[in-house]
Amino acid sequence: MNRVGLQYLAGDLSGGNARCIAMLQAFQEAIRDYSTPPEKTLTRDLTSKIGGFVSFLIECRPLSMSMGNAIRFLKSRIARLPLTLSESEAKTTLCSDIDRFINEKIVLADKVILRHAATKIRDGDVLLTYGSSCVVEMILLYAHELGKQFRVVVVDSHPMLEGQKLLRRLVVKGLSCTYTQLNAISYVMHKVTRVFLGASSIFSNGTVYSTVGTASVAMVAHAFRVPVLVCCEAYKFHERVQLDSICFNELGDPDAISKVPGRVDVNYLDNLTDKQKENLELLNLKYDATPSDYISVIVTDYGMIPPTSVPVIVRGYRKEYLLI
Amino acid sequence: MWWRSASFILDRQQHQNRTVAPSPESFLLSSPPPMADSPLNPKSNISAYYQTRAAHHAVVTSDWLAQAQAAVGRHSDDDGSLGDDKGAAPIGGGGGGGEEEGSGKAFSVIDEFNSWRKQPALAEAVAAIRALAAVIRTSEATTMMELEIELKKASDSLKSWDTTSISLTAGCDLFMLYVTRTSALEYEDFNSAKSRLIERAEKFGEISCKARRIIAMLSQDFIFDGCTILVHGFSRVVLEVLKTAAENKKHFRVLCTEGRPDRTGLRFSNELAKLDVPVKLLIDSAVAYTMDEVDVVLFGADGVVESGGIINMMGTFQIALVAHSMNKPVYVAAESYKFARHYPLDQKDMSPARRPIDFGVPIPSKVEVETSARDYTPPQYLTLLFTDLGVLTPSVISDELIQLYL
Repeated sequence: MNRVGLQYLAGDLSGGNARCIAMLQAFQEAIRDYSTPPEKTLTRDLTSKIGGFVSFLIECRPLSMSMGNAIRFLKSRIARLPLTLSESEAKTTLCSDIDRFINEKIVLADKVILRHAATKIRDGDVLLTYGSSCVVEMILLYAHELGKQFRVVVVDSHPMLEGQKLLRRLVVKGLSCTYTQLNAISYVMHKVTRVFLGASSIFSNGTVYSTVGTASVAMVAHAFRVPVLVCCEAYKFHERVQLDSICFNELGDPDAISKVPGRVDVNYLDNLTDKQKENLELLNLKYDATPSDYISVIVTDYGMIPPTSVPVIVRGYRKEYLLI
Repeated sequence: MWWRSASFILDRQQHQNRTVAPSPESFLLSSPPPMADSPLNPKSNISAYYQTRAAHHAVVTSDWLAQAQAAVGRHSDDDGSLGDDKGAAPIGGGGGGGEEEGSGKAFSVIDEFNSWRKQPALAEAVAAIRALAAVIRTSEATTMMELEIELKKASDSLKSWDTTSISLTAGCDLFMLYVTRTSALEYEDFNSAKSRLIERAEKFGEISCKARRIIAMLSQDFIFDGCTILVHGFSRVVLEVLKTAAENKKHFRVLCTEGRPDRTGLRFSNELAKLDVPVKLLIDSAVAYTMDEVDVVLFGADGVVESGGIINMMGTFQIALVAHSMNKPVYVAAESYKFARHYPLDQKDMSPARRPIDFGVPIPSKVEVETSARDYTPPQYLTLLFTDLGVLTPSVISDELIQLYL
């Protein structure tokens, strides 16, 4: 648990799926090592223990939506444990439930998404992607394996420069890629035929909550009438409705945006006095919200749905996993 | 003038008759579309769906009729519903013809389908549904698994008969889902389960047939007295809607686009004139010119896709764009078996359905012609869809599809 928390803190572990899987596996370990203190019931005590772990993780880095949904799932599973189970049986049940969740909601869901999304890639396409989403990476590699001929444009932005990791992995597999920064997006967009984006979560009004910069990419794509496909597993959907990016967000390290890595000459902010620094606020937002008008289709494990159908999935099928 | 040979009607033969050709043919139509007698419709550049529509509704000249009759006389194994396109052929003859093909093993679902299809009033998907229901009835399977496998095979062969027709694929899929969704099938003895399946299949066929009446009733609220309706294409559902409105003594007038090259507008205006509805024909290019006087735009649909958009005859998207920019409501009348799980992202994202276009004069061979027969209208240009499930907004289509398919 400490290890996972520190990985979050250091930024080694990023990406909704990776963080969620790591957290769930850490919970599995914690459950296995757990033993009920005397005079306490398993369900209540374990729930409060989980709560404690979650607070620790929040200290390291605020939860992503996917993690939030997974924790709710886990708590509901714990609450539903029949009281007649012995402690070891309860623990094995919980661990197998977690395994099933990871398998069905993430691993298998990704496979279904791959199949659907690959049908939308034709020979001769120029695909644009932003940042580094594990699902989009899988889609591109899968389509390449299927033998489709396409080019990829990887758009990246400071300070995280996540696109470079994606770029490296794609180039190694032999895809022809172009790399550019976010400020050049309107320059490359006229050549692009499809835009593939990942999401951290999708809200009930179809708003896509994803890495900061995604909204700009989607907006420019919409202006150029390029279809935008958002690929997201259904477990990341959330009932919340968010109208803009400010009301709920995560702040990153402000100093990260005051410097450009590798360019020591661009250091205009270094010599400010403290009095001057009072007037300056460095805002490093991690997420932004893309309105549903800019999205053409959301590819999930339930198939390809329009953004207006997210509440249908949330309403109809989220209850399902609470009752696994 | 649409050039065709009697082989359109006579499915069994492959010969290439050059019939009476009143106008010079274009070079593009140098080879007639033969209808092969294998279950697969091999003609790659002409959609079978449009062949059917043409066969049902093409303008029949008397010498063409005579030639068709003569050709019929030569082939004794053909069904009796020839030459008389406009009237509904008796069903018994068609069904009997299909089943006489052989013993149970040789029962061809394609024959059954073709015999149902010949009725011009019957939609293709409903014909497929009826054919599949007949498969269950005449099946010799002894277990549920066998029956399901047979059904699946029949459904696949129907779907492959015309891969470009969306309503056919969707109708077959929905039928399979509806019929096989009964739980506890395994626990009953086979015969009662089979009779239950047949019951459900008949019910589905009936619902699909009644769909048009339901849609006509639902859409009456949207046709008010004194309105001007613009229609495009020959949709039997839209015709039913307008017929019902005329029967209810509503005063309205209809603007029909010409609908080249199928000349759907001419046929549609014919039908409307019979109902004493004032109708005005426009050339396709005159739509924007007349859009000011239009109150309501009404389309049918070949298929309704998951995004809430529709796939319909070429020209629909254009008219919807003009209507949208001039703030006119665009209504679509479509039965629920046309809902398909496709999701086109743009016009070229669907499997193409081509049909030859006769410009009336020879075209030099260097010149390409856009022969696609249909286009995709995205949901933001549609106001409402009238379906037998109710009056829906485009975003609800995905909701309905998720409920139907998942």
